[in-house]
Amino acid sequence: MRLETKLGLFNGLSKILLVVLGVLLIPPIVQRVAVVHTDQRLREKRREVLSLIARDGLATFLREEHDEAYADYNILKQEYIAITPLGPAESKLEFPAERFFEEPRQVDKAVEDFRILSYVAPLRTTKGEATPRRYRLEIGSSLGTVELLTNTLRALALWVLVAGAVLTVFTDAAFAHYLLRPLRELITRKLRGIRQPGEFSFERLHTDTTDFRRLDDSLSALMRQLQASFEKEREFMSNVSHELLTPTSILQSRFENMLQDPTLPETHAQQIVESQRTLYRLRNTVRTLLLIANIENEQYLRDASVSLTQTVHDVAEELDDRRQQREITRHIDLAPDYVVPRANATLLHTLLRNLLSNALKYNHEGGEVRVLGRPQPGGYVLRVEDDGPGIAPDNLPLLFDRFRRFHATGPKAPEGYGLGLPIAKTIASFHGAVLRAESEVGVGTAFVLEFTA
Amino acid sequence: MHVLLVEDEKSLHQEVRQFLQQAQYLVDSAHTFSEASEKLYVNSYDFVLLDLGLPDGDGLELLRESRRLEKQEASFIILTARGDLDDRIKGLDLGADDYLPKPFSLLELTSRMQAITRRKFGLKRSEITFGDQFVMDVTARTVRHGGPETPEVPLTKKEFDLLHYLLLHKSRVLTRLQLGEHLWGNVLEDDSDSNYIDVHIKNVRKKLAQFGPADFIETVRGIGYRAV
Repeated sequence: MRLETKLGLFNGLSKILLVVLGVLLIPPIVQRVAVVHTDQRLREKRREVLSLIARDGLATFLREEHDEAYADYNILKQEYIAITPLGPAESKLEFPAERFFEEPRQVDKAVEDFRILSYVAPLRTTKGEATPRRYRLEIGSSLGTVELLTNTLRALALWVLVAGAVLTVFTDAAFAHYLLRPLRELITRKLRGIRQPGEFSFERLHTDTTDFRRLDDSLSALMRQLQASFEKEREFMSNVSHELLTPTSILQSRFENMLQDPTLPETHAQQIVESQRTLYRLRNTVRTLLLIANIENEQYLRDASVSLTQTVHDVAEELDDRRQQREITRHIDLAPDYVVPRANATLLHTLLRNLLSNALKYNHEGGEVRVLGRPQPGGYVLRVEDDGPGIAPDNLPLLFDRFRRFHATGPKAPEGYGLGLPIAKTIASFHGAVLRAESEVGVGTAFVLEFTA
Repeated sequence: MHVLLVEDEKSLHQEVRQFLQQAQYLVDSAHTFSEASEKLYVNSYDFVLLDLGLPDGDGLELLRESRRLEKQEASFIILTARGDLDDRIKGLDLGADDYLPKPFSLLELTSRMQAITRRKFGLKRSEITFGDQFVMDVTARTVRHGGPETPEVPLTKKEFDLLHYLLLHKSRVLTRLQLGEHLWGNVLEDDSDSNYIDVHIKNVRKKLAQFGPADFIETVRGIGYRAV
């Protein structure tokens, strides 16, 4: 998963969590706040009432018909005030002086829930009264009002929360997108777009994020190192090939010149031909090693799309004379064709030529060579099969071993399979393919080339 | 034919020069870039055999330089041991006529030179008569016995090339290696003593023998074949 997607997901999830938390926590908090707020208001009212009583005396509030009690409420019955006389205190602990509670009260024939502040205090009925009497002062605020306030607050808080969450999800995503742009660029332009170190672009990344800056710089430094060592190796190979092939060339020319001499005795001529043959072997060994080194050193381009069917037919055509000489039949069946993307046509040709020429060489006269191509999960498989004597299981792993092979001896040694196989193996891996051999002694050998799409 | 041989390796230079002189070419020598550059400026050649790795310069630069000189119409054949892949492409792009990686066969070199000459002068009907009334038409790639109305000898492509090569180097012994290298080019062939050449020769003889005596292809024991 991409970093940006991950960040986005995390961001979204955390915001959802936040909203859920808000939904769970906001109502009780708002409730609590509303209650505290109401209580505070009730206390203020009490202070106002007490100050009124202190100024005007309690008598102005009390009426005879109500048994010296007083009650008043506003029109909408949201609040009421009641003052009731109490008997003398039985004990000091009978009431806390001040108490908050919620209770239903009947106000003018309607019963409603109230938040009530009940306060017991000694009050003087008139200003001049000597001993104060105990009264209970009750101030109530309708819970309906409180609830209305709570609901409004709760709704408001939730909406702000949700809106904030949604908004920040988008701004965070946008910021992450902006922040990660250099990384995206690094991956798409500098890394994914290239197939070999030579194509790496050293153009600096535009970013002021130190981490990306460092990443880019160290990548560039590594690539420079890699390119330098490739370059060195290339130079080395070029020198080695020059140093090895020039003397070979001199000898070959000298042998050819010697053979031109009409007075050359026949025995000498034969010796020269023998030497030529030895030199030819040396030359081929050197060229094989150079070819392998050059392939491994990425000196070949993968700049073509090559059809396997086409290449197999070209190669088969080229080897047709050998095939006919040994009366070997061929069967080519690639269903469907496979086009190797990003391939080197010359190398693929060499690879298939080596496989087919081996299949001809190690076939028995009148045998068959089969080239079968089939798609397989995740790629394509090409088999080159012969009816030859087969290879002993012990020797199978040595087939592609380029150094051991040259010294292998004995009648069944894989040496006979020649220089072609190490080359074939190298070319296969150059194209991201795997080359392996399956063989049964007395039945035949199959070389299996597996391409991964 | 006037040839400029540009090669800094003295021994190789000597061998190539000797071979070409025996083949009746007039050979001029240059061992360095500057020497070659000077000679190219002063003289006109039919062929320039160019080694790329010269001690004082890049052979390709010589090619580029002389392509700018109007009077220099030489055909260039690049000879190199550098093993650099780009060289071949670059060389041919710059107008080289052929490219032979070292080590090459001198016989192959002279054959390529002959082929270039034929191309250059547009020899329309190049025919080679050989044996007893056999005629090879090199352009049409046919071999007949007797007049132009007689049926073709049914040779395969490789058999024709083989016969052609033998006839081009008439009365010279060609080794199997030389023949093989011509037929299969620069392919890395790992069995040096392949008997494919022998089988091809046998087939050519058999096919020709159905039309007339084919004893003009001689086997030279232990060495190779010769057309007389």
